[in-house]
Amino acid sequence: MYPSAIQNYEAPDSLDGAMAAIAKFGDDAHFIAGGQSLMQAIKSRIIQPQTLIDLQNVQELRTLETAQGVTIGAMVRYRDIAGNAGLDGRLGALRDAASHVGDRQVRNRGTIGGSLCWNFVSACMPTVTLALDPRLTLGSESRGRREVGIDDFLGEPMETDRQEDELLISIFFPQLEGRHGSAYGKWSLLTDGLPVIGVCASVSLDEGNICKSARISVGGLETGPVRFERAEEALVGVAYDDAKSHEGAISIAAEEAEILDDVTGDEEFRRQLIRSVGLKSIVTAFERAAAAGGGQ
Amino acid sequence: MKRDVTITINGVEHRGNIPIRMLLVDFIRDVAGLTGTHVGCTFEGQCGACTIHLDGEAVKSCLLLAVQCDGKDLTTVEGLGREDALHVLQEEFHRHHALQCGYCTSGMLMNAAEFIKERPDADDDEIRRALVGNICRCTGYTNIVKAISAAAKRSASVWRSADT
Repeated sequence: MYPSAIQNYEAPDSLDGAMAAIAKFGDDAHFIAGGQSLMQAIKSRIIQPQTLIDLQNVQELRTLETAQGVTIGAMVRYRDIAGNAGLDGRLGALRDAASHVGDRQVRNRGTIGGSLCWNFVSACMPTVTLALDPRLTLGSESRGRREVGIDDFLGEPMETDRQEDELLISIFFPQLEGRHGSAYGKWSLLTDGLPVIGVCASVSLDEGNICKSARISVGGLETGPVRFERAEEALVGVAYDDAKSHEGAISIAAEEAEILDDVTGDEEFRRQLIRSVGLKSIVTAFERAAAAGGGQ
Repeated sequence: MKRDVTITINGVEHRGNIPIRMLLVDFIRDVAGLTGTHVGCTFEGQCGACTIHLDGEAVKSCLLLAVQCDGKDLTTVEGLGREDALHVLQEEFHRHHALQCGYCTSGMLMNAAEFIKERPDADDDEIRRALVGNICRCTGYTNIVKAISAAAKRSASVWRSADT
């Protein structure tokens, strides 16, 4: 398979340059981040861009800052996230996911921003960020910058709130008081493959190790990643080591999930995966929160 | 439609006036004439036979356009060792009979070369996990894992002393 003809290739070296390029070339242009999904689509000609705007030289998109919350540039790679020891506790799920996306070669190129903008139906990063509740900064030449929450950013699979002339700039996890932990796990047909089911849990504890709030998202569903608010509510008030209540909460998600049979797993199997993978994520998230210091 | 590019491969500059849509693996094979980098799956980016080093990191050259590597520094399997001084991985692949047809070997070597530098103390499970992006369809992976493990152990002491 081979790409169809491409008329223009631009490799801007600044945010302004990238936004100017997408404004100039318009509908026929496509940003390329790490390219580990996009190149497959280009080679199979699902996408036939006239212009490719390569973001690899935009250094501002490659920074990962851990002061005053955590800001991750859209072009930060899985490799960089997986290897960043500062992303622990509250953001532990990011490393869980980034360490097991695809394979080594994919993690050397693939980026968090590329994955979020592509929003592939069962990809790990949309599921994880949905539970971690970051704010995303987007920018365009004509309308400047704006912020959007992850719940509003992620649309149907392969769709997001990013407009065609917009660039995803960064993903910001605000500094939170108190103790927080998150974890992500998945079950795939192949080691580190796309999940049949992936579950991310993010929890906050009070001084007495009781859960104050939780977010649970499940990926691998036809709808793309989904939060289960009744399961989240069921965790509030629960002790960090109350395994029975953790199991009860994830069972709510397993029962509520809309699941269609397909070749990778029938309905009953997938519900069981939500229970088993999800329970592990919840338990690990609580353990990380209990071990965390305040003010992270 | 076409661009002038200069790509350094194994220390040698290769110039070309190439279509924007040309894949990097095709530049390496057809323009630079270095056919040790292989094309297995050609589409999904899953077989790993085209793995090379871009700025020292293992990447699949079928998932990049050649124009994206203008001005960059690549290493292919031809640059890994020399005929009179093989890379430690090449020696151990030979010693452990870690190949049969050899089609996947160049990709295996290039991925493993970066991996054992990062993780010289990796155990067999970690080596297997590191090979997820490289598919072998004839020998199986047992001897490949043995070869990589042996190479990692041999080179660990060398790199450790070089680092200090």
